Amino acid sequence: MKKKYLILVILLLQTSLINSVFCQNSATNSGGQVVSVQPKIMVIPYTKEGEDLRTVLENDENKRIAITKIKEGFDSRGFTTVDFVAKLKVAKDNNAFTSDNQTDIKSQIIQMSGADVYVQAEVIVEKGQSGNSVKLILTAYEASTGNSLSNKVGESGKFYTEDFNKLASKAVESCVEDFLNIMQIKFTEIVNNGKSVIVDISFDAGSQYKMSSEIGSDGLPLSDQIEMWMEKNAFKNNYHIQGTTDLKMIFDDVKIPLKDQATGNNYNPNKFALELFKFFKGIGLQSGKDVKGSTIYITIK
Amino acid sequence: MKKLNKISSLVIVILLIITNGCSIKTLPIGEVAEVNYLSGKEGTITMRAIGIGTNQEDAIIDAEKNAFNVIFFRGLPESEQKIALIGTNEIIEKEKNKDYFNKLYKEKRYKTFVMSSIATSDLIKHKGGKKSIAIDVKINLVALRKDLEQNNIIRKFGF
Repeated sequence: MKKKYLILVILLLQTSLINSVFCQNSATNSGGQVVSVQPKIMVIPYTKEGEDLRTVLENDENKRIAITKIKEGFDSRGFTTVDFVAKLKVAKDNNAFTSDNQTDIKSQIIQMSGADVYVQAEVIVEKGQSGNSVKLILTAYEASTGNSLSNKVGESGKFYTEDFNKLASKAVESCVEDFLNIMQIKFTEIVNNGKSVIVDISFDAGSQYKMSSEIGSDGLPLSDQIEMWMEKNAFKNNYHIQGTTDLKMIFDDVKIPLKDQATGNNYNPNKFALELFKFFKGIGLQSGKDVKGSTIYITIK
Repeated sequence: MKKLNKISSLVIVILLIITNGCSIKTLPIGEVAEVNYLSGKEGTITMRAIGIGTNQEDAIIDAEKNAFNVIFFRGLPESEQKIALIGTNEIIEKEKNKDYFNKLYKEKRYKTFVMSSIATSDLIKHKGGKKSIAIDVKINLVALRKDLEQNNIIRKFGF
């Protein structure tokens, strides 16, 4: 009889412990309110191969003005951007860069900043006898997939002036609103149709499985099992396979919702990776998962 | 004498036809939205719009509403608002947000976004007693967008 009570007490304690681990802290409880996680946007200058991002910006005030004006455009829409210079400084202080190659540094900054979207601004100064002008090429990309979100060319028009700062401002003003409007259309499309993630599935060096291995209760090839799962779980059945070999399967564009369709909470690539992990476990495969930005790496052991 | 009378009445009839032809114009059938972009800077947009009404006041109000409708449901090429601010299906959008549009148009709340509205033509008479006027209307686009966002007519920038 005493033993029974003891087991009951232990069970009750365990339940309350589990509850205390997973229930929301009263200090952070918002009463069920969910705020959409906004994309992180960073504005960076265009650099040619071999150019140092920071010196490009420090030596060219026109570029600094253009970037500030673009950020102003985002601010006017109530959106805060990630400051590129601040991120660059932090990265340098932390010795985050591992290579001298500037192109690599650019991608490293984008990766390190956690930016979902980066906007690249190219400022072209044109001097001529009929007047001077500044042209601006603005491009916005989704950092994870490289999908283009918005592209615009701005022009200041020709003026008999040496005030290139003013011309750079005019070039930005000529296109920034339109640029943001197009971006917003793409964002709405993402809200409605899901955001893109890349899923890279490969095998551990010591794994006994291949994509052609017949597994699961129905004995179908692994690659087909994966695709069938993806078909069911990609948001609105929207996915694209880049390629499948016996050792690798890459989905270069899988749509996942921004919000959990059941709970209404924010959804992210990590949660989708967990679902994939559960799927592999379900068919009797051990797997490891890594998530970098919007790329999910699954390694089957 | 009789001949003279005939000639004079013929002249009168011809004169009447000519004068009528000059002053009364035929209006296009259906809704007109003759709105053209003039200029835009720092969150404002100036358009030339034509409105129709029974008197000058009505015609001006119609022109202003036309300008807003074009911004909301069509967009203005050459301006910074090339694409429709709300959407291209005005019937659905107006039905979805009935209260907002009632307040905006019927209670003339749209006037709070008009920075200036200047008549650029005289009142022109049309067949059926209608009159039209051209105005240059300047709209505070930043405030208008913010208002649409706050009233959940359009989504805020981002997700």
